[in-house]
Amino acid sequence: MEISNLPISPSIRSKLLSKGYTSLSSLSSISPSFLAQELSVKLEEAVEVLRAVSDTTTSKSAHIPYGIIPGAVTAWDMLSEEQMQRHISTGCEDLDAILGGGIHCKEVTEVGGVPGIGKTQLGIQLAVNVQIPVEYGGLGGKAVYIDTEGSFMAERAYQIAEGCIYDILDKFPSNSREFLSCKERLQVNNFLAGIFYFRICSYTEQIAVINYLENFLTEHGDVKLVIIDSVTFHFRQDFDDLAQRTRVLGGLSLRLMKLSKMFNLAVVLLNQVTTKFTDGSFQLTLALGDSWSHSCTNRIILHWNGNERCAYIEKSPSVPSASAPYLVTGKGIRGINSNFKRARIM
Amino acid sequence: MLFSTVAPASTSTSTSRDADSIPQHHPTRDQFAPIPIPLRSLLPHSKLSLGCPILSRLLSGGLPVGTLTEISGESATGKSQLCLQLLLSSLLPPCLGGLAASSLLILPSLLPFSSLLKRLSRLPSPLHPSPLDHIFVASAHSPDHLMMLLYQADRLFHKSPSLMPPLRLIVVDSIAAIFRSEFDNNFGDLKARTGMFFRVAAKLKEQASRFGAVAVVTNQVVDVMGPEMAGDVGNNHHMGPALLSSGRMVAPAMGLSWANCVNTRIFLSRNDEMAAVGVNGEDMAACTRRSMEVVFAPHVPRSSCEFVIRKDGVFGLDIERQ
Repeated sequence: MEISNLPISPSIRSKLLSKGYTSLSSLSSISPSFLAQELSVKLEEAVEVLRAVSDTTTSKSAHIPYGIIPGAVTAWDMLSEEQMQRHISTGCEDLDAILGGGIHCKEVTEVGGVPGIGKTQLGIQLAVNVQIPVEYGGLGGKAVYIDTEGSFMAERAYQIAEGCIYDILDKFPSNSREFLSCKERLQVNNFLAGIFYFRICSYTEQIAVINYLENFLTEHGDVKLVIIDSVTFHFRQDFDDLAQRTRVLGGLSLRLMKLSKMFNLAVVLLNQVTTKFTDGSFQLTLALGDSWSHSCTNRIILHWNGNERCAYIEKSPSVPSASAPYLVTGKGIRGINSNFKRARIM
Repeated sequence: MLFSTVAPASTSTSTSRDADSIPQHHPTRDQFAPIPIPLRSLLPHSKLSLGCPILSRLLSGGLPVGTLTEISGESATGKSQLCLQLLLSSLLPPCLGGLAASSLLILPSLLPFSSLLKRLSRLPSPLHPSPLDHIFVASAHSPDHLMMLLYQADRLFHKSPSLMPPLRLIVVDSIAAIFRSEFDNNFGDLKARTGMFFRVAAKLKEQASRFGAVAVVTNQVVDVMGPEMAGDVGNNHHMGPALLSSGRMVAPAMGLSWANCVNTRIFLSRNDEMAAVGVNGEDMAACTRRSMEVVFAPHVPRSSCEFVIRKDGVFGLDIERQ
């Protein structure tokens, strides 16, 4: 982290040191023109110095104490990391598009909707899609599915995995050698084995399994998605102390957010809807109250638009609010136009 | 917590446990390492047949074990009749779509008991000489009483008295009647009522999950306003395509909260059509078209089929025969 280690000419180095630039962090946010003025050197030389600085810093891991605050990362590093993130496809191209590619890792996404709209179906689809091999554009990871309601059916997961594999092979008909090895991995049984399924029957079990997740994820480093279906069910049984419920839920969401960042995975929480009396009429709103609504990074509402299912992004730090229609088919979640689209890979 | 009796080779836990010696329903204190259930062990998913192959096919085999199913409909649409059919179906061995088990029927009151017995005895039960021996009946006069009955039923899931098979089916007919008039319309009571919905549903689902059982409840319907009030959420237009019965738009009772509690919702409807006069001049009762619709289910899409109610049971109609 020293100027003396930079691959620059000695004259420039001595100028830097005499001007007081002794560490790399001091050069991290300086524009080339300002530096050129400071050191009385040509602009191109200043640019070279800064490039040498950035080359040195990006090759180091982000956890090394950086300047003043240990563990701090520059926004630039965060941006390049974010741009390299893969997203988990939902199966519906329109929905993926408005989400900016799909469900984001390192974030907690809440998905809510009325019964029968397809929340569990979306959950199972994500648990399958996260396993799509990297060669086919997926994350090649595994999923943890925490079922609190009993709506997860293995036979439906089987159908959805089958549908996903069928569509992949249809979209990538290449028979080249690189694809052959991962084609072998495209077996329904592999996809089923890649979903770690927990069935829990009370809110204490829910808290226990979330507390246990850190250990589990440490052992299974390839898990890239944690789904809780639904996070709400066991918390609506009339807690005597609502403040306690809020505290417990807050603790859960903090822990999940920490897990998502620590293990670089996506956390998806499925939620129920309830009615709230606002502005003189009843409105549909997600359950668990106002304080819970701040707990999640992203919020997607699934709703009926007449006879059509629609997904609406209500809250997201990175994409604007938008709506996209989707279908629940025998093969899983699909977009409206997927029957007509045929992607041909040369 | 559900622990699989055969610990999968791929997972390892930090606490050492002998998974085989611990029965599934008694987690010991030092077990805070939940083991995920391998999905292939859940296939094929056992189902309880509806007693008619066409109706069962609508549900891809029947009601899945481990889930809570609601059968809603107006009065006289066949809900109770279908429940009786399920009670008998549970006696059959799994290869015939049953659970080889006893069942428990919970009613709001035992007053119509003799007519119930009559209807049950009329249903054919070729494989069992005395099917009524395997059906427990109880009455619940309030939601709290219902919870108490469910807790008492726990021991029947483990082991039934004498030579009866253990309990694997609970039918509550009807849940709306048990909840009705117990709570007033003020805010505090409505919250308490919602809390009770979730407690009852959680208990039924837990028993279904733990013991590989099926839970069924029947529900009544309420009228829903027309589309001119579409903006108002209180009219159920957010629940998707409308449900029709007797020419009216209806919705299952007990609202959105209860709808969140069930895994599967089946809707029975009837629509009376123009009365016809029979060949011999006899007055054919107004031709009633009955329809069973799967509103939502975890394993099948929204679909429906027509059915008839005969003395010997409820039977689905094939499309060609309509």
